[in-house]
Amino acid sequence: MTSDKAIVAMRNITKTFGSTRALRGVDFTVGQGEVHALLGRNGAGKSTLVSALSGFTPADTGHLRISDTEVTANGQSYAASIRNDIAHVQQTPRLFNLLTVAENLFLESPSVRNRFGMVSHRQMQARAAELLGEWNIDIAPGALAASLDAGTRQLLEIIKALSRGVPVMILDEPTAALSNAEKRILFQHVKALKAKGISFVYISHHLDEIFEVADIVTIMRDGQVVKAREPVANLDVQIIANLMMGEETTRSLREDHTQHAAPVLLKARNLRLNAKVETTFDFEVRAGEIIALAGPVGGGKEDLAMILAGQKKPAGGEVTSPRGSLPTIGLVPTDRHESGYVGMLGVRENVSLGGLDLLSDSFGFIRREKESTHVGNLARQTRVISSSLEQPVSQLSGGNQQKVVFARALCRNPEVIVAMSPTRGVDVGAKEQLYGLLRDLARRGMGIVVVSDEEDEIEQLANRVAIIVEGKFVSELVNDYDLTDLILHMEGVA
Amino acid sequence: MNARADMISTPAVQLQGSSRLSAFGSAFVANGFTMYPVLLVIVIIGAFVAPSFLTAVNLINILEQVSVLGLTTIGLTFVVLIGRLDLSLEGIVGFAPMLAAVMLVPAAAGGFGVELPGWSGLLIALATAGVIGVFNGFMVVKVGLNPFISTLGLLVLLRGGVLIVSSGRSIYSPGAALTFLGSATVYGIPVSVFVFLVIAVIVGVVFQYHRYGRALYAVGGNEEAARAAGINVDRVIWSAFIFAALLSGLAGVLMTGRLDSAVTTQGQGIIFSAFAAAVIGGVSLGGGKGTIIGVVGGVLLIGVINNLLTLAQVPSFYVQASTGAVIVVAAILTTVASNRSSGVKTRT
Repeated sequence: MTSDKAIVAMRNITKTFGSTRALRGVDFTVGQGEVHALLGRNGAGKSTLVSALSGFTPADTGHLRISDTEVTANGQSYAASIRNDIAHVQQTPRLFNLLTVAENLFLESPSVRNRFGMVSHRQMQARAAELLGEWNIDIAPGALAASLDAGTRQLLEIIKALSRGVPVMILDEPTAALSNAEKRILFQHVKALKAKGISFVYISHHLDEIFEVADIVTIMRDGQVVKAREPVANLDVQIIANLMMGEETTRSLREDHTQHAAPVLLKARNLRLNAKVETTFDFEVRAGEIIALAGPVGGGKEDLAMILAGQKKPAGGEVTSPRGSLPTIGLVPTDRHESGYVGMLGVRENVSLGGLDLLSDSFGFIRREKESTHVGNLARQTRVISSSLEQPVSQLSGGNQQKVVFARALCRNPEVIVAMSPTRGVDVGAKEQLYGLLRDLARRGMGIVVVSDEEDEIEQLANRVAIIVEGKFVSELVNDYDLTDLILHMEGVA
Repeated sequence: MNARADMISTPAVQLQGSSRLSAFGSAFVANGFTMYPVLLVIVIIGAFVAPSFLTAVNLINILEQVSVLGLTTIGLTFVVLIGRLDLSLEGIVGFAPMLAAVMLVPAAAGGFGVELPGWSGLLIALATAGVIGVFNGFMVVKVGLNPFISTLGLLVLLRGGVLIVSSGRSIYSPGAALTFLGSATVYGIPVSVFVFLVIAVIVGVVFQYHRYGRALYAVGGNEEAARAAGINVDRVIWSAFIFAALLSGLAGVLMTGRLDSAVTTQGQGIIFSAFAAAVIGGVSLGGGKGTIIGVVGGVLLIGVINNLLTLAQVPSFYVQASTGAVIVVAAILTTVASNRSSGVKTRT
């Protein structure tokens, strides 16, 4: 431990959502100037615990202290009283789309106000430019937040929180949307701030990041702490995974179900991803293949996936099926909260949205029995866990929500499934289940296209990797490749 | 691998002991029955306050009175379910039957002088409404206007349109064929009541059991997810505006029938009652939530309150304010009940 003085002390914190006990009397301590990793599977209570710490969702009972501020929780909001002690960067950026970068950075910041409360725009622009320069980000302070890509938005949210000058920072999955280069910059800043005595609570599903930046690890399972304040040096991946799972866990390996002379399910010819790129390329998906689209965030792999899924028009070229008509495609979109599921509707209604035409009679009325059977089968196949098929999807855990999205994509018996970030924000257990599902689908002759930013994931799944950089099809890896080849290709070295 | 995965599958959500009761409560609210107990209480109170309230004649009278509001509200529910709104429905209630009337009656009675046959009246009114619906959908889907401003503009335009086509005069007795739906009775029950109930049942069934209804809820709940699921979102939005307009056109025809005239002020203010009825009935203005059972409950509540205040000889100055107060209280009740039961926060 870097210091004996605890800057955060949470005692016996509880939180209940409806009938789910998310936190069951949790104690959590953070020392000054440490990077404290909080680990656990989806639904273990990590995000709930940090939200209780920042007051974003107040705890029901318990006691907490941050630096000198004491709070006894009773379910009422206490965010205002700890505002100057803690900053919370949430999983998804919460920026004001119609404000500029500078305005977003210095919103509610006293540093750009004069004593009459008036905001100096010139000063704000200058300070924003300075801050962005420090972080090596090449965007204009006057740009609208809406115009930024996902990685920059995430980084902006982090910068905004870090520049508030609070003693404790919560980073909840900060690297989910970041490129490798952006991650490097983030880690440098975290280390620099740590040296100044700032404490961090760091949540991530990427254990390699934990070993890189964290000092102390606390592991949660089912709303309780199963390992408190363990120095990271005493742990390895296997120990952490076992503590998170509560049992032995192994990392699954990729399987090859590509059949020789398997039929082509989907054919893209002379494809141009966007108007800025001149080069065109062809792309095929064969039965039983798992293809990964890799490359930097925003480099065009997302566009290619949306074009293959028929959700976006290419700047040139066409997507066809050898059978002549358009192929049947199931899509798992990148961000399940934004475009994956309808939270108010139940599992059954969400899943059947993917194949309403199959499930209804010639007058368009839904055949309820057929629907229930079909959805029930898909929910079993994708291993959705819910109290019933009628439970609103917004009440499910992240992993289960993602499984519902998969079930929906499979609803109309697609020939090809396009899965974008298939396991984003999903815990290890659900991740392996989804990998198993994808392999199983490939074995049955479905073509799988996966878009991913995680090298491990690609290496565990894909028989073929297409590297897409700046809208161009740069290179391809087939069959016998390992993680090193992949990383080298993705960095554009090989 | 499989054995391990099965062990992970322990239920993440456990139901509490009182789950049966709370499940019943949730279903009660989710299916739109929230207002019916309130309605029952008001009916019982009404029976004591005004002896003439609980008579067959008066109850049929209430149903007849709410049929116009009912159809308009059902129409509005289409667009509100997809998270939009349509203020021009009020204009349609006045304009569609007025245009039909001036096409039917001779020039001497204020018509255009084309004197089309009487049976075409209903078609003209519905076609007019349909065209307006197509236009509204076009503005929202293709041009990308916010429906508040585009339909507000159209509402004002249609009000003016009524004055233009009628030269500012109401048209009396536009012909039995046009007024039949709103004035005739079968076995002592007005046809308009049947029209309202039949439409309510059809739309209710479509919302619950038809893929189109499912698509409406999906688009309102999360438009992007609906798109990713392969639903033609633009077509759903567009059609919702058309259905809303058609039902409002029909509501206008009923009103003209009941009054046996196309009045220049016809339908004024009805959009506010329609919004109130929808919200009281549990329709979320944010989209994605609401049932026809609830909407009918909301419409009946407003009808019963209006009727009761009149029967109870509440001074007419107080009627309007009382109705407003009831609307606010009922809306609070619905919203609280719905937030409590579903755990999903919605703003209505």
